[in-house]
Order: sequence, then C-alpha cells, then structure tokens
Amino acid sequence: MKNNNINIFRRMSEGFKNTFRIWMREFQLIFSDVGVMILIFVVPLIYPLLYSFIYYPEVVRDLPIAVVDLSHSSDSRQFTRDLDATPDLKVTVSSSISMEEAIMMFKNREVRGIVQIPETFSQDIEMKRQTTVSAYADMEFFFYYKALMTGASFVSLETGNKIQINNLMNEGFTEHQAQITAEPFKMVDNAMANAGGGFASYGIPAALILIIQQTLIIAIGILAGTARERHIFGTLVPMDRKKMGTFRLVIGKAATYFTIYALLCIYMLGMIPEWFGYGQSADFTELIALITPFILSSIFMGLSLSVIFKNRESAMMLYLFTSIPLLFLSGIIWPLSNFSPVWLVVREIFPSSNAIFGYIKMNSLGATIFETRKEIMSLWIQTGVYFLTACITYGYQVNYSVHLRSELASHSYREIRQKIEVNG
Amino acid sequence: MKSILTNIGKVAMREVNRMSSRGLYILVVLVLPILSILFFGSLFKEGVPTKMPIAIVDLDQTASSRKVARNIDVTPLSKVTENLQSETEAMSELRTGNIYGFVVIPKNFQSDILASRQPVISYYYQNGFLIAGGLMQNDLTLILHTLSGGINIQKREAMGQPEDYIMSQVQPIQLSTHQLFNPTANYSVYISTIVLPIMLQLFILLMTVYSIGIEIKERTSHEWLRLSNKSIFTAITGKLLPYTVIFFIVMMFQNFMLYKVMQIPMHTSLGWLMLGSLLFVMAYQAIGVFFIGLLPMMRHSLNLAAFYGILALTLCGFSFPIEAMPPVFQYWASGFPVRHYMHIFQSQILAGFELRYSILSYLYLMLFFLLPLTIINRLKSALIYQTFIENVHKT
Repeated sequence: MKNNNINIFRRMSEGFKNTFRIWMREFQLIFSDVGVMILIFVVPLIYPLLYSFIYYPEVVRDLPIAVVDLSHSSDSRQFTRDLDATPDLKVTVSSSISMEEAIMMFKNREVRGIVQIPETFSQDIEMKRQTTVSAYADMEFFFYYKALMTGASFVSLETGNKIQINNLMNEGFTEHQAQITAEPFKMVDNAMANAGGGFASYGIPAALILIIQQTLIIAIGILAGTARERHIFGTLVPMDRKKMGTFRLVIGKAATYFTIYALLCIYMLGMIPEWFGYGQSADFTELIALITPFILSSIFMGLSLSVIFKNRESAMMLYLFTSIPLLFLSGIIWPLSNFSPVWLVVREIFPSSNAIFGYIKMNSLGATIFETRKEIMSLWIQTGVYFLTACITYGYQVNYSVHLRSELASHSYREIRQKIEVNG
Repeated sequence: MKSILTNIGKVAMREVNRMSSRGLYILVVLVLPILSILFFGSLFKEGVPTKMPIAIVDLDQTASSRKVARNIDVTPLSKVTENLQSETEAMSELRTGNIYGFVVIPKNFQSDILASRQPVISYYYQNGFLIAGGLMQNDLTLILHTLSGGINIQKREAMGQPEDYIMSQVQPIQLSTHQLFNPTANYSVYISTIVLPIMLQLFILLMTVYSIGIEIKERTSHEWLRLSNKSIFTAITGKLLPYTVIFFIVMMFQNFMLYKVMQIPMHTSLGWLMLGSLLFVMAYQAIGVFFIGLLPMMRHSLNLAAFYGILALTLCGFSFPIEAMPPVFQYWASGFPVRHYMHIFQSQILAGFELRYSILSYLYLMLFFLLPLTIINRLKSALIYQTFIENVHKT
C-alpha cells in the first residue's frame, strides 16, 4: 500500500516535470522563430493601435451636401442654414445651382447628397399647405445615407413643428396648448452600448477578440508545420527515445500559449479600451470569466487543427481567409435573428463568435456573468470538445512516431539513410 | 519573339503540373474562393434584416397603449417577442441578447394624453451592432412619430377642422427621400459586392507569394529559370499566367453570382466588367510579386501579404468612409487596388455613370503593374543565388 502511494507520487511528479519541460520547450520554439514572434507579438500589439487611429474620427461629421434652393426665400435660406447647423451635414453649395449641376458634383464626389427645396416652399408655408422637400442620398455608403437622413429629417421635423405651433398660436392657442397638440407625447431615444454610434467602438472590440483567436491558431499551425519540416520523417511529434505522454504534450503546449496570451490580453482588452475610450463596463472578474474559456478553446482548437498543416506555410494559406467570414458570423454586422440555421451551426464551431458577442455584451452593455451565461457555457463546451480532439489527434501522432521508430529499428542503417533521402 | 512565347508556354505548363501535385493549390485557388462566394451569397440572402426581436413594457395596459404595441409589431423590421413587466427586466433581456430593443409605455399613458399632460415614451435599442441599431432607431422613431401624428389628427378632427387642412398642419414639411442611382436599400449590395473582391484579393496575394516563394524555399528556382531561358520576365509571366486565368474565371463566377443570381443592378456592359475584373486580378498578382521580391524569404513575405490583405477590409473604405479618416490613411488607401475596384463598381457598374468618372480608377489599377519592376533584380538574384533559404535544422 505504502509502496503504491510512493509510486503514484513519483509518477505525478514526473508528469509535472515533463509537462514543465514541454512548456519551456514550446517557449523556446516560439522565441527562436522570428515569423511566429511577429505573429504573436507584433500583430496583436500593432493592429489594435492601427485600427484605433484609422477609425479615430468614429462618426461621419459634416457630410458635404448641395442644397438646390428653387424657392430663394428667407424661409428656404433659414432651412438651408438649419441643415448646415446639424452636426451631420455641411452645406457646401447652395441657392444658385441647378439640379443638373448638383448631380454633376455628386458624380464627381464633391458632394455626397443633395437636398432640393421646392419653388413653392415659402408660399406653401404661408398658405398653410403641405410642402415637400426632397433628399437625394448617396447609397454607396451606409454611413453617408444615415448622415443625410438623420440631418434632413431632423431639420424637416423641427421646422414643421415650429410652423405648426406658430399656426396654432395664431388660431388662439396658448403656447403650451399648441406644443401639446403638435406633440401629444414625448419620445426619448436611448441608444445602448454605443451611445455615440461610433465606428471604432463598434468594430474594434470584435477585432480585438478575433485577432487573439486567429493569431493563436495560425501560430500553432505554423509551428506544427515547421515541426513536420524539421523532423526527418515528417512526423508532428519528435521521435524521441522515450514516448511522450499525450496528456503532458497537450497541457504543456497549451500552458505556453495561455501564459503569453493572458499577458497580451492585459494590453489588448485592458489598456487599448482605456486609452481610446471604448466601452469598459466589464470588471476584471467578469472579463476573466469570459476570456479564460475563450483562450483555452482557441488553443485547443488550434492544436486540433494543427495536425492538418503539413508545411510551415499551410496555416497561413489555408486558415487566414476565415478571419473575414468569422467577423460576419459573430453576429455584430448582420443580426443573428436573420441567420439561416446552417450558419448558426457553423457559428458555434469557432470560439470567436460567442466571445465577440459576450465581450460586447459585457464591455459595452454592462452585462453580468449571469447574463452572459450562454456565451460562457458555450465557450467551456468548446474548450472540452477541442481538448478531447487535441488529445486524440496528438495521441495518434505520438503513437505514429513510436510506431515508426520501432519499425525503423528493424531496418539496416543503409535502408534508413535511403528513406531519409526520399523524405528530405 | 516566338521563342519567348514558347518558353512562357513551357513555364506555364510546368506550373500547371506543380499545381496538380499538391492539394494546397487547388484549395486556395478554387475551393476556398468558391466557398467564400457561397457563404456571403447566402448570408445576406434576405437583403434587409426582418423580424428582429423586440420587447414591449406596457405599464399602462389600455386601448391606446396596446395600439402602440400593435403598431410596432406589424412593421416588417421588428417583431414583438416579449411583453415584460418592468424596465429592469427588459434591460436585462437586452443585455442577455434576447432582444435588440424595447419600448416603455408609461403608466397613465392614455389618461395623460386625454388630459394633455404629454406623457413620455422611451425606447431603447442595442447600438453596439451597427446595422441592427441604426435600423431599429429609424423604425421606432418613424412608428412613434406616426402614432403621435395620429393623435394630433384625431384631436383636430374633433375640433372640426377640414381634412386637407389637418394633413398640411400635422406635417407641414414632408421629406421625400430618393436613393440616387441605387433603388434598392439592400445590404447585400453594400456588403457582398465589396467583401467578395476582398476575399479574392487575399487568395490572389497569398497564392502569388507562395508560388514564387516555394521555388526559393525548395531550391527549384534554377530549374524554373532554365526553362524560361534565364529571362525573369518570361519566368514570372509563365508562372502567373495559369493563376491569372483561373482567378479571372473565379472572379467572373463571382460576378455571375452577384449580378445574375443575386440580381444586383449592373449598368455596364460585360466587356467593361471583364476588363475591370482582369485588371483587379493582375494588379494583385503584381503586388504579390512585389512582396516576394521585397522579402524573398517566404515566411516573411507571407506575413506581409497577410497583413496587407486583411487591412484591405478597413482601408478600402467600405466599412467606414475614407474621407472621414485621418488624412494619412486617405493616401494610404490609394495603395489598395480593391479601393479603385470599389470605385469602378459604385460609379460605373452600380450607378451607371459615364466612363469619364471612373476612367482614373482603371488607370490606377494599371499603375500597380509597374510595382514589380522596382524589385525585379532583387528577385532575380534571389532566384539565382538562393540566398534566402530558411535555416531548417533537421533533427
């Protein structure tokens, strides 16, 4: 009994030692490979900064528009001035131009929208008739369309309101009565998560999460491909004399990436949002609850996938392209309620989908761990599944190396030399 | 001249043989691009989001408040999936992600309106998702304004005002919106048409760098040069030719999906579309050659190609307008062929403007062909001396 105990203890300590050795060896592999170093350190450091600078203005302000004023009245000039005063629009040309000239400027991209005030504008108001202002929007960019619509409808509503109240007061209403008649109830607009509607606050949190997953999976893939190129017989696992434990191998490698990415997350999810003022409603424990299963599942997914990359370049060639579809699959661009069931299933394959969704919920909306339970649970399930697949693939690779070694042992030196030449 | 052509043919044949030797080629050149086309084609099939889940917090429970709720439910954009008891509950549902927005109808809503006390309706929406947030805001504002106008009309009718007069008073200024040159407010027009070329440029860049880089890495560049009679021009033309043909066909398939299957309006002739696509493919091949010439060690040039290729999504200016970016990036954006292609698409294909508004973009695309000239000698010496071999220790 006592003997048995000592045995288990010895095996455990040996296991830890081995795991530790694999952990350190993986560090060594990463730090001796410039290409991987760039991917793991430079990309996560540079991209968030670059994106933040590119999107720094956040929203479209002062969209250049042309006002075709056919009315030439003080009312229409006031309307034009009101358009110019909105933060969204900037009237670059007005009054004296014709619609044809305005369209010409539009085609040359000098203006991004046209507002036409009708000839009868002033008379209509005077005669208490409804008048129609036309807005011609640039449909090329969602942002331009939105800016023109926001600005133009705001000014039309406000001006209309003033006219209505004015007329009511002429009819003998008090100002208060007139206001209530014109506006029977008030409306309060509450934009949640990203009140300013800024583009950086919207896109960058998703980009941060995606960068973590993609650099991890590609880096693991590159190292696996490189290992196969280095090992004489193209095996993923070195053919050491002593058989490597599958479990130790997977845990040891995972520990390396986890250490590095945990540190990177402090920069990417802690410092970047603080410097650039993106939402940071989530506190430390909430972020840890979400990010831990995310990094783990990404690592195990990377280890499972790495078996298919036969060469150093394979990971970049075959996996990089997923970055763009994954951004769309996360559900931040196209609402999930409009996804077909097939894509909802595909969405669940990648850790980034739930992590992006969860991160935005926590960080921008202030969702608690309980309110993010669906995402956190999914990430833990992914961690479990990919851990198993990683163990299976690595177990297979370890056995393959052992098998190959024992088979080679029965061959003569000359035969082995020939095999090496063929493979190398 | 004839011998040059035969040499190009020989190099091209060699390349086709190389392509069939590894699964990676067929995956990157055909399988993955076509999968991407199918993915984006089906993701935005509906064009405009519909039936987004929304909740109503009706604290009044009267005929008027139920009318508000009904009106919100019938719009195509949103669908009332939950009726909740309190604002806190609704907020929690919003944070959980079950709903995209909610409307709170206050207590005494109906009696306040009747007593002219101007009650307040608040609406909340998830603005962390740009398309959903923007649409939800427009939709809710519109519905509530219509309802408010309806009450106004009823009141005036009760006062005995004539119908025409009421309409002119409730909304003295009507805004009629026209969408210039693109009648469809369809998101697949915005997104698929630009994202698909962005996906394709990624494959073209990686493949071009790989097809040349692998010759250096595996020390087969001498054989390649010998076949082209030691002319770097012949060598590169012959090598890239099969890819030009295949990627051009893929891009035309993509155009077929966009303009025929997805019915995106196309206001130009097939000839111009083909020319634009061909120039697009060749411009990216030229950039690929430039990258591998600049950094002949494939691991680095692939990194560079990946960095540049992914950045196109941002700097082509389709997500966020270039004009709104800091000036430095506005110049930088010209260095992406997809930006010029996007301009051709928007101006000539979609809007049907005259050629003179997009001719400059065609010239820009051709300008990229000159890029490889800057590194051609460096690339040639890398192919001859094979000095950029990665140090692989066999263990």
